[in-house]
Amino acid sequence: MAVIPAPMANKLALFEQSVLPHLNAAYNLARWLTRSATDAEDLVQEAYLRAFRSFETFQGQDARAWLLAIVRNTCFTWMRKKGDQPAIEFDEQIHGPEDAPDAESILLNEAALGSLQNCLEALPLEYREAIVLRELEELSYREISDIARVPIGTVMSRLARARRRLQQCLEGALK
Amino acid sequence: MNCEIARRLMETNDPSLAQHLRSCPSCIVGAHARYYEAPPALEQKIRASLRRETAPSVPWRPLAIAASILLAVSAIWNVVLLRSRVGQNELVAEDVFSDHLRSLNGTHLLDVPSSDQHTVKPWFAGKLDFSPPVKDVAGFPLLGGRLEYVAGHPAAALVYGRRAHIVNVFVWPSNAAAPESTQTRKGYHLRSWSDNGMAFWAISDLNGSELAQFVALLRQG
Repeated sequence: MAVIPAPMANKLALFEQSVLPHLNAAYNLARWLTRSATDAEDLVQEAYLRAFRSFETFQGQDARAWLLAIVRNTCFTWMRKKGDQPAIEFDEQIHGPEDAPDAESILLNEAALGSLQNCLEALPLEYREAIVLRELEELSYREISDIARVPIGTVMSRLARARRRLQQCLEGALK
Repeated sequence: MNCEIARRLMETNDPSLAQHLRSCPSCIVGAHARYYEAPPALEQKIRASLRRETAPSVPWRPLAIAASILLAVSAIWNVVLLRSRVGQNELVAEDVFSDHLRSLNGTHLLDVPSSDQHTVKPWFAGKLDFSPPVKDVAGFPLLGGRLEYVAGHPAAALVYGRRAHIVNVFVWPSNAAAPESTQTRKGYHLRSWSDNGMAFWAISDLNGSELAQFVALLRQG
């Protein structure tokens, strides 16, 4: 095994200490975005390499948010190249029905959980991204807007639409 | 009602959730959507790829290219050298051959006719800037010596006899170790070699094996 030069060894140690602990967050995001375990694994590995190469640009901010931005970009680039993800429409006219679903019908049983999974996966990519970052990673709007590189207003509207779609979807599935 | 409370209520399927869920389907996601954990092998894979990334990279590609260029250049150079040496050798052989013929045709075979090496050797002193080895060779009596020019070099010509045959040996200093060669030119046999920084050419109309014997004896002596 080749000896790693000292500055490299330091960089590696620092990287492993600050970025590697967020592996689950990285994988969870990639898994939700790609909806595939093997793709997520490959893309997370690639994202980690990219992150390491640009570790100099990491200024000591939140390592998780920094890493998630790279994971997200890696996934989006890959999916665009694959061409299987149509970009979402930003048509403001797309609204769900104003009547809210009957929440009491949402029973949190196996079927409901399965539906939740399907409904989340059925969300357009950008909505799914926003929901996963917000509800599973519990990031702030500001952090999400940094990661997705869109204004905070867009993050909020994406979240709102995503929730509406989820409600509709769950309602439809559990009827 | 905040999400935390709503989550706890959801776990018990409390009907009072209804109101909250109207405004907060996110709670369902936060509490019940699957959080995918990375497979354990992934961390090892990433660590390994980071190790590969930090290993000092030896620039094999440029090195290989440089090496092959070097090899090609040296191969070409060797061929050029060989050709020029072959060409050089050819040139010398030609000169040796014509010098030998001239020495037999004319009256200029010997400047110093003597069978005594101690007469012949000192004769060259002052005429050449080197001292040629002059030796007695059993069965090939020394007849004498003369000055010659071979391929532009001042050379000592030592003349030996064998029955009615004449052997001319041309000697001059040479740093380049001349290749040993044996060749035949219009019925004459030529042999070349080098010893102790001197180039030697022997030529005679003797048969090849007798000339070889002569050369062997000369080099031994």
